[in-house]
Amino acid sequence: MSRRDGRSTRLQHRPSRAVPALIVGILLLAAGVVLVWLTIARLVNGIWPTVLQGPRDWLTSLVWNSPGVWGIGIAAVVVGVILLLCAIIPGGFNALTVNDAGSNPGGKAAPAQEQETVMTRRAVARLAKAQCSQIDGVGSASATATTKRVHLSVQTPLHDTGDLRNRVTDSVRKSLKTAGLNPVPRVTATIQSKG
Amino acid sequence: MRQTAGTLNRIWLTLLGLVVLVAGIVLLLQASGSLHALLNTARSGNRIVTGDLHAVFAPSWVVAIMLVVGVIIGLLGLLWVITQIPRKNAARTYRLHDDGGEGFTVCEPSVLATAVENQVNTLPGVVTSSALLRGTANAADLTLKVTVNDRTDVQDLIHRIETSTLPDLSRALEAPLQRSRLQIDVSGRTQSTGTVVHSTGTVVQ
Repeated sequence: MSRRDGRSTRLQHRPSRAVPALIVGILLLAAGVVLVWLTIARLVNGIWPTVLQGPRDWLTSLVWNSPGVWGIGIAAVVVGVILLLCAIIPGGFNALTVNDAGSNPGGKAAPAQEQETVMTRRAVARLAKAQCSQIDGVGSASATATTKRVHLSVQTPLHDTGDLRNRVTDSVRKSLKTAGLNPVPRVTATIQSKG
Repeated sequence: MRQTAGTLNRIWLTLLGLVVLVAGIVLLLQASGSLHALLNTARSGNRIVTGDLHAVFAPSWVVAIMLVVGVIIGLLGLLWVITQIPRKNAARTYRLHDDGGEGFTVCEPSVLATAVENQVNTLPGVVTSSALLRGTANAADLTLKVTVNDRTDVQDLIHRIETSTLPDLSRALEAPLQRSRLQIDVSGRTQSTGTVVHSTGTVVQ
């Protein structure tokens, strides 16, 4: 929920489900507007708008086991399951926790009663890519990061890639550990020879 | 930095999902005739609308109820859409002293946030920073976003922030910080500055 008590929320959070919420919110708004417009037209003109004639005829001709009712029922079940899945599936965290316990070696009191330090997934990917680009034999690299895994796609001019994969993963893992990520995500790499 | 409506969205999506799912299941049970066998509802071969719709929707109070329902549904939808806008929820003016007859001292949190940003921007490797203060002067709540270049020693940066910036802010407020949240981002630009040592080809034995 959007906080109004003036306190900060955790920087490491899961997706807020804004897209399904926006879609359902707009549909509710549209339904409300249509209902208000129909009733105001009824109050002003004294009769219901003629646009309702079609739906009314369709509704009066329906029996419970007609294909239309089955279709509406199935659609409602599907929509209900989708909405529930949107709410229940947690999704991945947007950032990784950075350990800052070792940065206060003097044993001084913490500067704040509650501390949180995070690095965004994009930042981790950029850090991994930068570290990877410094390794001899790496032509170009791209990286993607989740909270549990960092994957590097490396292009190399070398014909014989040899132990390049191990050098890349070891170096990047060491770099992420030095940055203080806790836990350190698993580092994987695919090597593509351009030679 | 900005706050979103994650919890509200999950609650409403769950509630609406359950309502729509149950309605769909009931409709399917009724269409198949199972509900008639269980609860003695209308037979599946019967018409859905048995009476005269004109007569049902003719009274003015029915129209009024539909109008109210429409307004409520529309307002709920509109409020839900508006809630999706991420909010800063920044602190209001801090009251540093309030000694009655001796007067009082106030300070805009944005002033302190700018001071924090200026100090953080001088730290090695920092490209830019953004600070936001929440809470009160006696229990301040700092959220700091720092963008660094890809060569920065992150642990050293955290150490510097914790040993200089945060204590300075705490001293300025004359109260310990309640919460400190630090988000580190890495600039997309590859760091090109620094000392580059070219090889001369000389062999030292």
